[in-house]
Amino acid sequence: MPELRRDPVVGRWVIVDTDKPKKPEDFKYDQFVPEGGLCPFCYGNEFMTPPEINCFRDPGTAANSPGWQTRVVANKFPALQIEGELDRKGVGIYDMSNGIGAHEVLIESPYHNKDIPDLLEQEIESYLKMCCVRLMDLKKDSRFKYIMIFRNFGSSAGATLEHPHTQLVALPMVPKNTLEEIHGARDYYNYRERCIFCDILRQEISDKERIILENKYFISFCPFVSRFPFEIMIMPKQHSGYFSHMSPAEISALAQILKATLTKLKKVFVNLSYNYIIHNAPINGEAEVEYYHWYIEIMPKLTQVAGFEWGTGFYLDPTSPELAAQYLKAV
Amino acid sequence: MPELRKDPIIGRWVIIATERSRRPDQFASQSKEQEDPLACPFCEGKESQTPPEIYAIRPRNSNRNGPGWHLRVVPSISPFLRVEGDMDRRGNGLYDVMNGVGAHEIIIETNQHIANIADLSEDQITKVLNCYSDRILDLEKDSRLKYALVFKNYGKGSGGMAIRHTRSQLIATPINPKRVKEELAGSRAYYEYHERCVFCDLIQQEIEQQERVILDFDGFLAVTPFAGRFPFETWILPKKHCCDYTCMDAESRRNLARVLKAVLLKLKIGLNDPDYNYVIHTAPFRRQKVGYWKTIDQDYHWHIEIMPRLTKVAGFEWGTGFYICPLPPEETAKFLREVKI
Repeated sequence: MPELRRDPVVGRWVIVDTDKPKKPEDFKYDQFVPEGGLCPFCYGNEFMTPPEINCFRDPGTAANSPGWQTRVVANKFPALQIEGELDRKGVGIYDMSNGIGAHEVLIESPYHNKDIPDLLEQEIESYLKMCCVRLMDLKKDSRFKYIMIFRNFGSSAGATLEHPHTQLVALPMVPKNTLEEIHGARDYYNYRERCIFCDILRQEISDKERIILENKYFISFCPFVSRFPFEIMIMPKQHSGYFSHMSPAEISALAQILKATLTKLKKVFVNLSYNYIIHNAPINGEAEVEYYHWYIEIMPKLTQVAGFEWGTGFYLDPTSPELAAQYLKAV
Repeated sequence: MPELRKDPIIGRWVIIATERSRRPDQFASQSKEQEDPLACPFCEGKESQTPPEIYAIRPRNSNRNGPGWHLRVVPSISPFLRVEGDMDRRGNGLYDVMNGVGAHEIIIETNQHIANIADLSEDQITKVLNCYSDRILDLEKDSRLKYALVFKNYGKGSGGMAIRHTRSQLIATPINPKRVKEELAGSRAYYEYHERCVFCDLIQQEIEQQERVILDFDGFLAVTPFAGRFPFETWILPKKHCCDYTCMDAESRRNLARVLKAVLLKLKIGLNDPDYNYVIHTAPFRRQKVGYWKTIDQDYHWHIEIMPRLTKVAGFEWGTGFYICPLPPEETAKFLREVKI
């Protein structure tokens, strides 16, 4: 009998196929193999991108030249523009505003063919540190209410450039999915005076069956209510609303678990495309951080979202998270 | 300057890119993969390859599960939900669980191996639309079920299968899905404030502005939504207010068949036969009980949403529920208006 499971935070129901679960070899997905060629994110091509906003680079090297470890530039085709006023207005029954925001690209490393599993832990640390630096900097702009960090890796995950990169979008309003999470978390907090994410952590640690990896500061697990097969969450054990508030020790622990988790995922699914998203609390006074808890959500691109999901917001997970965790633990 | 636009019903914000725009014709779909039509289990003569039929339009002298039919409905071979059993709601620590009770049916729209519903005759499309109604009404009798969703996945990019025989799916769920609830709640909030249906207001404004209208005839309006998530997203709305798809009369269904065919043909011709999904948005089963929503008849308005699959949904959209539409709906409407069918 298939099982229906309800997400405790946002209340979304998901159908989990428990009868004939799909095994890793049952998934037919488009493999992503970089083809190379002229790349604006490689050493020597710095002139092809907008000038760098921020950079970790070797001492003595000039801005917008080789010698960097992690580089941040403005998106050449930004979805939102940084200059101007929001200017909210109505058009009949419709509401609109100007598309004010920031859209940056974080080039994680100079290596065209190295995904996170192929980088050294200290290289990943420098990338994570840069994410924190950018978050702290953009937070100062009071027009922004939310900053989203996400990574599309591989063409099926929507990446248009091969060279691995992360994107950062600062938005003038809190997005709908985040609002839903905050409402769910707030209701739970009002009722129990506990953070729902901390409770999820406690239950996952005691249930054990969905945990993939654990270190001093983080756990990575397949969430009980996964929208997609082999979906993974990496959550800090310490309650905190913001990714950018991590201590140096936490950053190295995250680099370790992120690398190990993605390495496992890509061992089960060779040349996989995937997305991950860093979920943070809103900024500039839109949320209470007592009840929000930041985390990373990893979504492998193994299935297509079809009419049923679009119409209902109901998802079908063909591999139970318990089974997915078993496969990931085993490699 | 890009624009942020808010969906007036569920309050979702969408970024409408203006600077990075490709031209509409640059979104045209790539060539299709080949398939083996002989392997199709949905063609006439292959009835034994599907589960036994639940419903069929066939001449009186033909046999059930034999050839000679015009349209057939069968249970899905790999159902998302099962008809048998109890829901058995239970808790697991802080998580909630229940059994996957429901129905999952496949509507085989023709006995011919035709891929796109747009290529069926108006008569045959009318049969399909009638069948949607009949199946929803039949499933409504099952008191365990709360909602019936009719949808179509056309092409592999839409989550469809390799076999390109035109069909729709119907899934009935034991709970009202989240997306449906949001739409209902948004419509109700608007109604409480204005005492008017938000969709009726939308129709009126679209007809006045004309900018996003693709087609307007026979009592139906096809528009690209003001805050559409995807390029070329199209909604078909009945101009006459009604919350429930199954309440349409026979003539309206014939008219809808004409409008649906015209819109889908425009997409097919204009964008080189793109993959698409469509979903019928209709009211949940309205049973009288405590807490019954008394204004649903007035505040909700059924409609069809068509989503061509020309772009990929990436991390940003999954994470935020904020969509980036690379083409303004005004431009896509203009493009589709001009496609000759």
